[in-house]
Formats: sequence, C-alpha cells, structure tokens
Amino acid sequence: MTSYIATFHTHFSAMRTHRTMAAEGVSARLSPVPRSLSASCGTCVMYEASEARLDLMDKDVERVVECLTPNGGYLELLRND
Amino acid sequence: MKKRNFWVILTGVVIGVAAIVLTALGNPGNMGFCIACFIRDTSGAMKLHTAAAVQYVRPEIIGMILGAMIVSMLTKEFKPRGGSSPMTRFVLAVVVMVGALMFLGCPLRMMLRIGGGDLNALVGLVGFIAGIFVGTLWLRGGFTLKRAYAQSMTEGLMLPIIVAVLMVLSALLPSLFAFSESGPGAAHAPLLIALGIGLVVGGLCQRARFCTVAGNRDAMMFKDFSMLWGFLAVIVTTIVGNLILGKFHLSFADQPVAHTDGLWNFLGMALVGWGSVLLGGCPLRQVILAGEGNSDAAITVTGFVFGAAICHNFGLASSGNGPTVNGMIAVVAGFVILVLIGLFNRERI
Repeated sequence: MTSYIATFHTHFSAMRTHRTMAAEGVSARLSPVPRSLSASCGTCVMYEASEARLDLMDKDVERVVECLTPNGGYLELLRND
Repeated sequence: MKKRNFWVILTGVVIGVAAIVLTALGNPGNMGFCIACFIRDTSGAMKLHTAAAVQYVRPEIIGMILGAMIVSMLTKEFKPRGGSSPMTRFVLAVVVMVGALMFLGCPLRMMLRIGGGDLNALVGLVGFIAGIFVGTLWLRGGFTLKRAYAQSMTEGLMLPIIVAVLMVLSALLPSLFAFSESGPGAAHAPLLIALGIGLVVGGLCQRARFCTVAGNRDAMMFKDFSMLWGFLAVIVTTIVGNLILGKFHLSFADQPVAHTDGLWNFLGMALVGWGSVLLGGCPLRQVILAGEGNSDAAITVTGFVFGAAICHNFGLASSGNGPTVNGMIAVVAGFVILVLIGLFNRERI
C-alpha cells in the first residue's frame, strides 16, 4: 500500500472526496493540510491505496501527491490550479 | 517537538512578547495587538467614522500585511487567488467586526486580555469556542463559499500596495488624517517600532499559518491540536510578561478597554467564532492571507474596515461602560445573517 495526500480548493470538496473514498472502501481520513505541502490552512484527505485512485477525486481537487518519506518528500501526481 | 509545532509555538511566544513590549511602549492596556481594534482605529483615522477616541493609523496591521507579503514572496508562496464568494465574505467580515466590537477585541486581543488577568475575556473565550463549534457543524453540513481561482499579480498586490501608501501618507502628511488626542487611539507605541514588530509578526504568522480559529476548529474536527499550542503560547507568554511587569490584575472589574457584561461578551465572541469558521480563518489569519495575495482575504479585511465604521457610526460598538442597545440588536441580527448565509451556501455532500 502507498500513502497519498489530496488537497482541495474547498473544505467541502475534501469532505465529498472522503465520503466517496469511504464508499469505495479506501482507507482515508480528513486532516489539516501539512505545512510542508502548502501555505494554505485547508483540509486534505490522507489515504492509503495500491494506486492513486484519481478517479475518486472531486472536481475541486487541487493536488494529489504520493508520500515518499514520512517527513515530507512528495511526488506530485495531479495539479489543478 | 514536531517541527510544525515549533513554528507555531515560536510564533505564539513572539506575539506574546511583542504585545507586552508594544503595551509597555504606549499601546493601550492588554492591546499590544488587536486586529479588530487596530483596523477600527485605522478606519477612524481615514475619517470613515468620527469616534474621536479611536482614530490612528496602526502601523502594526500594515506591518503584518507587508511582512506576510515579503516572506511569502521569498518562499515563493505569494499566490494571487480570489473569486470565492467575495461579497458574502465582505458581509461575514462586517458581522465578525460587530461581534468583536461588542466584546471589545478580536480573538487575539481576547488571548492578550486573558494574559492580563481579565476574567471577562475568559467568558469571551467560552463564547468563542461555542461559536467555532457551531461553525464546524455548518462545515460538516455542506457549507461552502466555493473555490478561489488564480488571479493576476496586480490583484494580489492591490491591498499590500494600498496599505503601504496609507502608511507613507499618514507619516508624511498627517494633516490628511484624524488622530485621537485622548482615549485608546492616542495610546500608541512609536511608529517605526510598531511597524517593525508588525513586519516580524506578519512574517512569522505566514510561516506558521497562525490562526486563532484553526486551532480550535482542527481540534474539534480532526483531533489535531498543533495550532492550539500557539494559542496557549500567546496566553502563557503574556501572563508571564505581565506578572514580571506587575501588570497582571485578575478581576472582572476595572480592566482596560473592557466591560463586564458577561452575556454580551459571550455572544459577541460566539459571533466572531462562528463567522470566522465560515470565513475559513480568524481576523489575524485574514490579514496574513491578504498579504499572501489572497484577494478574498483582502475583501474580508476591507469588510472589517467597513464594519468598524458602521459599528461606530451607528452606535453598535461597546465601551468600558458596557454594550449599547443598538449593539445588542446588531449582534442578534448578525446571528440571523450567519444562519441565512449558511442556509444559502449549502451543498449536498
């Protein structure tokens, strides 16, 4: 399993994605966005899956990254400015 | 200690020390920093209201906006964004200012008042937390102000440029402005020191994402207590500082720029807490975001300026003698407005 973080343009969008993931059986939780990832103080979805599951993202997703190390190494998989 | 907690705690300690220093150098009691009061004073200095006791261009606020701008540019985090329900944010900002001037302070000043021994601020804190809790219920229920979009550099720089021009004009052509000769507006630290401290605090708040609302909101919604450490750091630092300087007075009565009406202290801060959750951050955070190029936050700061003006022009703001009837009506109206904005900005999750 790989750890991913998805950030969103709105808190609502994060909640919606979290709910979709839960319905699909993906292990996910809502959390404040890590400072190492963004200066914004929004909500992210941290999840673990065998693939990034970009198909489950709400339209207002901002970024999806794969966590390379526990302390903040990221590989960007999707960006939607 | 986790690195993210270190920055938050450092920022909280620096804010506490800065507040003690600014008060020692002339700012009003327990008002080393107050986003609401300082924006209100600046609004008065520009003659948007004519309350003679609260008119002064506060360099701290200008410094914070410019400090956040400079640091975010250095770290490549200056990102002009906007378009997330700007007019709704403007109205929310007015409502938050009505609540803050009912209590006589923003959440930051509430913390500084607690640090000075003002027990009325503890009542305000209970209201603030209650308001944040109600706000989180709206977030869980699908409240959204919709997303922001990338904007031009000009849009992002607009407010920082305006406040920089305001600072220069007020220093070089003071006759253009109104400055209090007595009252809280006449009590202020030297300009350059206040500006410098504002710059440092603004920069640190940008690095730490310091927010008085986020700490409580994140604890309630995600069991994440990182930002609460900063909240506690401000209070502990100011308690220690005030004890050292002999300015810690534990009481309800006779506190500087405060009143003792518990119900309206509670309701005022509840309004601030609820409104700030809907805005996505406390007044301090809005000031910092405006410095990072967020034009929605800039509109919110503009709403604070407008809100402060109507609070004084229509007798809504409290004084040391207590709240006004007009202010009570406005706070109740504020709660109604928050419910309506909440209802009309919900989506199905």
